[in-house]
Amino acid sequence: MSNEVKTKEKVDMDPKYIITLTVTLFVTCVIVAGLLGLVNQVTAPNIAAINKEKTETAMKAVVADPEGSTFSDALEITEEMNAAASAAGGSVTEAYEVQAGGAAAGYAIKVVASGSQGNIEMMVGVDAEGTVTGVSVVDSSETAGIGTKVTENEPLASGVGVLEQFIGKSAADGTLTVGTNVEAITGATVSTRGVTTGVNTALAVAGVMG
Amino acid sequence: MNLKKQFMEGLLTQNPVLVQVLGMCSTMAITTSFFNGLGMGVAVIVILTLSNVIIAAIRKIIPNKIRIAMFIVVIAGFVTMVDLLIQAFVPDLASSLGVFIPLIVVNCIILGRAESFSYKNGIGASFFDGIFQGIGYTVVLLIMCIIREFLGAGTFGGGLLGPDGKGITILPSQFPAGMLTLPVGGFLVLGCLIAAMQWALARPKKNKEESK
Repeated sequence: MSNEVKTKEKVDMDPKYIITLTVTLFVTCVIVAGLLGLVNQVTAPNIAAINKEKTETAMKAVVADPEGSTFSDALEITEEMNAAASAAGGSVTEAYEVQAGGAAAGYAIKVVASGSQGNIEMMVGVDAEGTVTGVSVVDSSETAGIGTKVTENEPLASGVGVLEQFIGKSAADGTLTVGTNVEAITGATVSTRGVTTGVNTALAVAGVMG
Repeated sequence: MNLKKQFMEGLLTQNPVLVQVLGMCSTMAITTSFFNGLGMGVAVIVILTLSNVIIAAIRKIIPNKIRIAMFIVVIAGFVTMVDLLIQAFVPDLASSLGVFIPLIVVNCIILGRAESFSYKNGIGASFFDGIFQGIGYTVVLLIMCIIREFLGAGTFGGGLLGPDGKGITILPSQFPAGMLTLPVGGFLVLGCLIAAMQWALARPKKNKEESK
């Protein structure tokens, strides 16, 4: 109680003290911000390079011909693409045009769909005919040991990898649904549903892009 | 002499996790593989030591009323630096620790040591306090990682050793209880460790009392 009273007195009576507080805190913040700027200058190019490499690796993993393919810069995401994506239950974050041997060979589309623990960020390759050429999970927070079976492409009962089963599917197969035309990993149905939504989203977006 | 006392405090009698029960969030969340535990431990040692030294160095000019705000600014600065450096140079670790590196800002071990130790002690003592408390945290993380990884996934050294860096398989795949790598496993293992620690710490005291 006595402590509280003392505190109040001091603040009330001494404007100089308040200014000291403000200046000290301000100067500290400025120094720290300056140092952070320096560190950022050193690390920013490295981080950008790593991100670019990650994206390229993810794109290479989902196209039919990893060696012969090149990728355009990120395409602009149009209103139409966003609408198609949200109608399919996911969202589209990035899209790249794939070129193989100088000809357009479809798209690599980065989509986000919700899994069991959070968002699953995945790259889906779609060829010029609108057929899935590959699926890879870029980032997810699925449960270790359960949902990660899906993101790490573990084999299904039939022996095919859970992500590989999407290869060859196209919009002509209708909406992909776990249980009818998609098989789930036992115990990880929700995560499988998540990636299925992602693939549906990518197919819908590719359909709009033509 | 004093160093030895500080060392014992950090590792055992004042262990940040098992005795002070600080930093629970990260302890639960990241102790699923050896590599995670080691990376997090090293990051905390570095940040704790640096922030302890800086706070001890400027403790005389920190006005008492805004000390917590000053601590947080210093800590947040170091955490962001370490976060950027990890992202740039150890991307594997950055992707497996994810949000838990930035969350070191609010890890109570660091704020706790700033308030209870480095604000009141010299630079040298604070430096060693940071290292020893950090080691105490790291050792507990590693013990938890080893137990949870062994029982939950049947491997040792996940993310670092073995084929594909997935760890050396010790238990055949039908035995591990996947539950141990889930949060519930974290609570169980941590509960057992704290109980064991309290038992171990309480024992000699009782003996002394009895001998009196």
